[in-house]
Amino acid sequence: MANDRSVLITGYGIVSAIGLNVSEVLDSLLANRTGIGSIKYLKTGHTEFPVGEVKLTDGEMERMMGIAPGTPTTRTALMGMIALHEALASAGMGAGDIEKAAFINGTTVGGMDKSEQYYLDFIENNSHDAYISTHDCGSCSEMIADRMGRFKYISTISTACSSAANAIGQAAAMIRLGDVDIVVAGGSECITKFHLNGFNSLMILDHDQCRPFDAGRAGLNLGEGAAFLVLESRESAQRRGVKPLAVLSGYGNACDAFHQTASSPNGEGAYLSMTKALADAGLNPSDIDYINAHGTGTPNNDVSESQAMRRVFGTSLPPVSSTKSLTGHTTSASGAIEAVICLMALKHGFIPANYAFENAMEDCVTPVDKVLKGVSLNHVLCNSFGFGGNDSSLIISRAE
Amino acid sequence: MILKLKQEIIEVLNLEDVKPEDIDNDAPLFGEGLGLDSIDALELIVLMEKNYGIKLQDPAKGKEIFKSINVMADYIQKNRTR
Amino acid sequence: MIMAAVSKLNYTVISSGYAAVNGRELKHESAGAAMLAELYREYIGDWPKFFKMDTLSKVGFVASELLLKEIGDKRMEGEEYASSRAVMLFGTTASLCADKNYQETIQDSANYYPSPALFVYTLPNIVTGEIAIRNHYRGETQFLVVDSFDAAQMAFHIGCAMQDNTTGSVLAGWVDSTANDDFSCFMTLIDRDQAQDEEWLSGQLNEIMNNLKQ
Repeated sequence: MANDRSVLITGYGIVSAIGLNVSEVLDSLLANRTGIGSIKYLKTGHTEFPVGEVKLTDGEMERMMGIAPGTPTTRTALMGMIALHEALASAGMGAGDIEKAAFINGTTVGGMDKSEQYYLDFIENNSHDAYISTHDCGSCSEMIADRMGRFKYISTISTACSSAANAIGQAAAMIRLGDVDIVVAGGSECITKFHLNGFNSLMILDHDQCRPFDAGRAGLNLGEGAAFLVLESRESAQRRGVKPLAVLSGYGNACDAFHQTASSPNGEGAYLSMTKALADAGLNPSDIDYINAHGTGTPNNDVSESQAMRRVFGTSLPPVSSTKSLTGHTTSASGAIEAVICLMALKHGFIPANYAFENAMEDCVTPVDKVLKGVSLNHVLCNSFGFGGNDSSLIISRAE
Repeated sequence: MILKLKQEIIEVLNLEDVKPEDIDNDAPLFGEGLGLDSIDALELIVLMEKNYGIKLQDPAKGKEIFKSINVMADYIQKNRTR
Repeated sequence: MIMAAVSKLNYTVISSGYAAVNGRELKHESAGAAMLAELYREYIGDWPKFFKMDTLSKVGFVASELLLKEIGDKRMEGEEYASSRAVMLFGTTASLCADKNYQETIQDSANYYPSPALFVYTLPNIVTGEIAIRNHYRGETQFLVVDSFDAAQMAFHIGCAMQDNTTGSVLAGWVDSTANDDFSCFMTLIDRDQAQDEEWLSGQLNEIMNNLKQ
């Protein structure tokens, strides 16, 4: 990508199974404490699947965000608001700044937690009609954005598990084009019965804590959460007097073109997205100090992604870990949640562990199984792969 | 029973241009022939539960059971609860 | 009915009862889902996986196939070609139709059989995936869910895709479906130069959409 405009990251916010804000998440990462456990918040009969839930009820989130009881909201929107609030505060964004900024949200579930609950009411009576219009992804993005201010432009990207990563990539492209100076981008997703059952019908859920890249791995654990990054041009950051926390230096997206939900054996899409991101950033594979893998814990992804990583990095494979072992697979939000984890790793000089890893396997990379502290990272690569073969990679670099 | 099974498979897997007589009872269902994939295998697992009351927990076992129409029909005869 | 092509771009339009390539209407006997099957059998015919797709994917697939055949597009001329084509689709309904179909399989606790084949399609980007699988496209793929059709917005995002120097062309389209027999779609192919002039492109997309709405 021909770029003469760097894309700076000047703020971020997060809510996930391992913490309700940046500080809590950092704490959990350093303590290697998983947020995956038995289902407590989602009302489902499928209690046999461990999940990474955000440890707040909808009511608690509404009170946190000062939303009047009875106002139609959805869990995805509420989590998004919490994360967005933190991101904007950390970037020192006032009302005036928000009015000049774009907002891009990645979500696939949207307000489905409510629509699946009230589906029969929608058909049989009017008692919950207010939740019909909160269902779709675009409404979700607007609810999140509107809670914090009047953004100039709002958009939604819905490409399943690569949504948030693509939202961030899109934001970077918009800033490089020079059309907007500030873009807040990320994603939000809550767990629903709809996709819990759906993933179960594909038989890719683990009945135990997931173990990415482990020889005995048996599937993924679903997670939920939200995270947003504030991205802006250098000129805008200087004008606003804010320091860059890091640089979004590369983005690559490619299609695996193999199967609707499975990844190709040689990880072609992943290989291409990582290669494109490196080219975009003007970096060599040996410049990457850490890879936050997509690493869902399914037999298929982990071997496919390992193949791709080996093809790109050869003998200079940096430390790898999948933090989905701590947060669960947060689907549409994962690209942003994991980008924020990468930002924390850069800032505080540590590499998060691939929790629950025990036994290596020939066809998989061997991830880092303990938190590595006191490391100096310059460039970090973050992978997010979505159904439909939509594979994305982000590179986040230390700010000079 | 074999004819009924073939019709069920054709319907559930959306094999639009395939007729029961086109499917050889001993031919492999996966790989060549019908060109079924992993999602089709999962749908056949659902079909066995829905129509014959057989619960299959391990998708890997499906590979053996769905080898051919005859193998599948034989398995169903031995294990059906409906 | 033959209409003059409304755009300098090659394009196809498909709605529940109408299908046309560069303004030339394609004859068909049926409507809705049956029309899609008819168009597939008449003009494509060599991709049986078509019948497993949900409506949104079927519409996007048929529209892209008709377009590529019209252009005489070689599907793959080596890796470089396949990697340089992006697929960017826009719509308001996303996978709503597939979502409803899947929901029905888990709605009744007494007859509870979640269908993996239906679940797989409850994502709008599976449409881009199906087109990519058919054509071996490995470039950027995206599905943007928007509030309503906005040609300027579409042209802007297509322009953004060209920020990536490796992107040589964008297969872009509008794909919507609320029910198995209710859908509307247009598909067009935009090259690098055409994408640089956003104002012109926006005008072209508006013309194509007007053609679809008629």
